[in-house]
Amino acid sequence: MLATPSRVDDLVLVRSAAGYCPVAGNRASVREVGDADALVAARLAAGDHTALAEVFDRLAPAVYSGALRVLGHDAAAQDVVQDVFVELWRHPGRYDPDAGPLRAYLIMQAGHRAIDLIRGELRRAARQERSGRLEPGQPDPSPDERVMASETAATVRAAIEKLPESQRRIIELAYFRGLTCREAAQAAGIPEGTAKSRLRLALAKLETALDRQLLESS
Amino acid sequence: MTAAEQRPALPDGLRDRVLGASLRARAAGRPEPAAPEITPEEAFSRAVDALYGMLGVLQEEDWGRLALRGLDVQGLVGHLTGVEEDMHRALAGDQQMAHASHVGSTQAAADRQAGRQPAQTRAEWRRAAGRTLDLVRAAGDTDAEVAVHGMRLPLGTLLVIRAFELWIHDNDIRQAAGLPPSVPDPSTLSLMTQAAARLLPQAVARSGLSEPASVHLILTGPGGGTWDIPIGHGPAAAEVAIVTDAVDFCRLVANRVTPDHLSLHITGDPDRAATVLTAAATLALD
Repeated sequence: MLATPSRVDDLVLVRSAAGYCPVAGNRASVREVGDADALVAARLAAGDHTALAEVFDRLAPAVYSGALRVLGHDAAAQDVVQDVFVELWRHPGRYDPDAGPLRAYLIMQAGHRAIDLIRGELRRAARQERSGRLEPGQPDPSPDERVMASETAATVRAAIEKLPESQRRIIELAYFRGLTCREAAQAAGIPEGTAKSRLRLALAKLETALDRQLLESS
Repeated sequence: MTAAEQRPALPDGLRDRVLGASLRARAAGRPEPAAPEITPEEAFSRAVDALYGMLGVLQEEDWGRLALRGLDVQGLVGHLTGVEEDMHRALAGDQQMAHASHVGSTQAAADRQAGRQPAQTRAEWRRAAGRTLDLVRAAGDTDAEVAVHGMRLPLGTLLVIRAFELWIHDNDIRQAAGLPPSVPDPSTLSLMTQAAARLLPQAVARSGLSEPASVHLILTGPGGGTWDIPIGHGPAAAEVAIVTDAVDFCRLVANRVTPDHLSLHITGDPDRAATVLTAAATLALD
């Protein structure tokens, strides 16, 4: 939001402060506010783009390295960094300085975004596997896609291996074999409601494990 | 080796890409959430309603309390009636109003309240403010300049400054009566901060700051925003960034607080920032 000097020049304001109330001295002293994260949050909300640049310079390396560690792929990690900072700029009010440091908030946001990417990747891999069985003539993925898929899969596979057997089984059925929840329940020999609750629990644990990995890596 | 040094460097171009995408998603300077836009006429009307409502809850004895410049509450409301009457004359094209004194010209209206019932004073002022709104609506063009009390401003800007004035005197009266201070709604406050930012170069020029400078003004909280304000003429010799609360800044430009009472974050030359803030107080938008 720029002040327009040409318009200001057109204005005339000559009313003097004298006689209205005690006037400040010729030279004011100023005092500063504390709490860097609260100040940054207020500046972002006010539309101060220099605050965004400052936050990026201070925290983007941590967000990037955390995303890279989880996703194992540079392009995807860069996408996560972009998503996290654009979101912070668009909705600065979603960060509450009273709830914790901005650094932890951004890393957590990166974790959620990385999980979303991994979920998408899992679904894509499951679809490819199913369609590959039906259509063996499909073109091979690019080397880049292969690297990303294998690195992401390795990261997620390691997290899945740590789940209890009952939850691991339902994740494999639902995501890797591409079964619906009802089909996965039938295959596992359990009620559909149980399958759903195990799936939710497994995904929550998966997110927590990957979030922790993201935080530790930064 | 520190943890930061162990991290991989950011890929080339990522900073520009992210900052560029951010500013495309939301323009620099625009507050979030942005206050719903209202017209200057609406801002003035809301300020009138707020003051009228507040006056309605005063106790009989509050009207005699000293409020400002030797005026009691009743006299101050009378002063506001005088301001409205001068506005009526200015809107009718009376050139004498251009240089009429804001205080001297309205003194008679303040004085005539003595001995009246407070309800009569309140009603007279409300009728005068309503008449101002009627004349503004009849005038239609809020870009047309109006000259009154040493100001020559587009009518829209003048109405925002009048809303400023009513809010400040509302709070003068609240203070006299021991009532808690009030804050304008974000839409009205947004118009006030915009007007103050636009008028700041004039105030600084009057204060005698000779070197051109660029002021990055960030007003936080509802009704705030960010402005890059060139001070003086020619290439800026220095840049100073000032962060403070939007309501506090409005109290500063109304000359109700001094800069040392503000919570501030300054980047750049603190002396230059202090000069700008001191100049802002001389706007005396009350």
